[in-house]
Amino acid sequence: MIELQHLSKRYGSKLAVDDISATIRPGMVTGFLGPNGAGKSTTMRMIVGLDHPTSGSATVNGRRYQNSAAPLHEVGALLEAKAVHTGRSAQNHLLALAATHGIPKKRVHEVIEMTGLGSVARKRVGGFSLGMGQRLGIAAALLGDPHTLILDEPVNGLDPEGVLWVRRLTRQLADEGRTVFLSSHLMSEMAQTADHVIVLGRGKIIADAPMTDIIAASTGNLVHVRTPQTADLARLLTAPDVSVTSRENGLLEVSGIDARQIGESAASHGIVLHELTPVNASLEDAYLQLTNDAVEYRTEEVR
Amino acid sequence: MTTATATPAPRSLDSIRLSFPGLIRSEWIKLRSLRSTVWCYVLIILATAGFSVLMALSANFGGDDLPQAAQNSMVAQYLTVGGNFTGLIAAVLGVLVISGEYTTGMIRTTYTAAPGRLSAYTAKALVLTVVTFIVGLISVVAALAASIPVFALNGVSPDLSNPDVLIALIGSAGYLALIALLSFSFGAILRNSAGGIATAVGMLFVLPVGINIVYSFTGATWAANIATILPGSVGAALYQYNGEGTEAAPAVGFNADGILVLDQAWMLIIFAAWIVLGLVAGAILTKRRDA
Ligand SMILES: Nc1ncnc2c1ncn2[C@@H]1O[C@H](COP(=O)(O)OP(=O)(O)O)[C@@H](O)[C@H]1O
Ligand SMILES: [Mg+2]
Repeated sequence: MIELQHLSKRYGSKLAVDDISATIRPGMVTGFLGPNGAGKSTTMRMIVGLDHPTSGSATVNGRRYQNSAAPLHEVGALLEAKAVHTGRSAQNHLLALAATHGIPKKRVHEVIEMTGLGSVARKRVGGFSLGMGQRLGIAAALLGDPHTLILDEPVNGLDPEGVLWVRRLTRQLADEGRTVFLSSHLMSEMAQTADHVIVLGRGKIIADAPMTDIIAASTGNLVHVRTPQTADLARLLTAPDVSVTSRENGLLEVSGIDARQIGESAASHGIVLHELTPVNASLEDAYLQLTNDAVEYRTEEVR
Repeated sequence: MTTATATPAPRSLDSIRLSFPGLIRSEWIKLRSLRSTVWCYVLIILATAGFSVLMALSANFGGDDLPQAAQNSMVAQYLTVGGNFTGLIAAVLGVLVISGEYTTGMIRTTYTAAPGRLSAYTAKALVLTVVTFIVGLISVVAALAASIPVFALNGVSPDLSNPDVLIALIGSAGYLALIALLSFSFGAILRNSAGGIATAVGMLFVLPVGINIVYSFTGATWAANIATILPGSVGAALYQYNGEGTEAAPAVGFNADGILVLDQAWMLIIFAAWIVLGLVAGAILTKRRDA
């Protein structure tokens, strides 16, 4: 379990993480979602003591990570930037890491096999592709058989097969009762991996909810209705939990009532319909809406 | 590429602990698994042996019949004269051992495994110092093996059981080790290979010469005195030969011209002070800064 209490981090004049509090629970995959620059990596670095919080605290299983007797058994971390000396082989990197905690060599070979690095383990890391580097980072994270995994953008640079593998792996680790905390800037990725999501924007938590809630809230059924009698239909459908908006002439966007009910009401009142289309707002749309005010680097709109 | 799913780790991992001996082992693996480190050490051994043979070739050119004390002194001094060059290699190595971790991002792995940081910092410094000292000793043995036959051709054979000779030779290994250690602290403070190497090489080898040039042109005694206490100058005390026939220790203090005069003990004390200062500053910054 990871607990963040009023955690903040300031770099000069930049408030990268702004007073966030959250609990990341064991036995499930918790996604950490937010656009680039939201503060995900900074938060993760603070959890493992690499960056010092400006205020607030982060604890792992009730204590600061720095106070663990076996940090690699407590937390396995894959950090965003490669954290490996390019001149060393993957195997020697892992052996050196294992030595700090007296982890047997057998375990080093196990994680090498597990992450599919067998054929390149003796090669220097400098020549690794992004995907290979990610696999080595994951191998290092798994090395100490940690209770908690912190994976910063783990699927970055992985091929589709690798992406699937990470999904299965994180699921399995969570099912074993471990705490799994992984970040991504892609909603679609999260939707397929996480049970619970914490959405971060400009250093602040925007949402902290089960994935199913986020999906339900974001895909609330919207129906497009085209009719020459917009005023009549709008009046007819109006009810406390139904919302009707009109963006262009002859088109209504209705939510809170499904297409079948709209069609039946219209028919019974003799209103002509030219179109009746249920629309699923995509997850990406919902995410963009959620973080709209909090996007750090907005892409210039193309005209 | 095929990948297996995670197999549960053996239960035995529940008993793993971060430990200082473990960190020492880890740093030893790191040190020997980088080509650059290994090459630096090979170069130190080859250069020491090579210099010693060159010096031996020119020893006692007149072929005089030298007293044993003079032969000892000659060998002790000729064998340590390569120290300036090998010290340079040791300095580069000392910086790289730590700055290389910062420039590649490896330091994050190191400090995630040992989040207290200072234990890893200490283990790294210790392994570097001990290994460099041992390599220094190997260099001395290699230099003796390579040069003694050549010295003998020129009628010079040292008495290797003479403690003054041995102390100077072992001291040259200690000099290399401590130069590496001091440079390590520069690397830890600057966290950057180019800056660290420039600082180490500057402080140890360039500034003493540079400042002495200033002194010779301007006669500014402060310049001479600064050059005297720079680590590169005081460090040479480690391989100073004190056997029979060497001059008596000078009176310590400022002489009539205002020039600072140090004896070997004071040089060693000042050298140690540099190292302590560097290591403490490095440790404080290591603990304080974000990695
Ligand atoms: N070491 C640092 N020094 C200065 N600014 C930083 C540093 N690390 C991150 N930042 C800034 O903090 C913000 C959050 O960055 P980051 O945590 O990397 O976001 P994310 O991982 O969500 O993309 C960004 O504006 C970034 O530029
Ligand atoms: Mg990031």
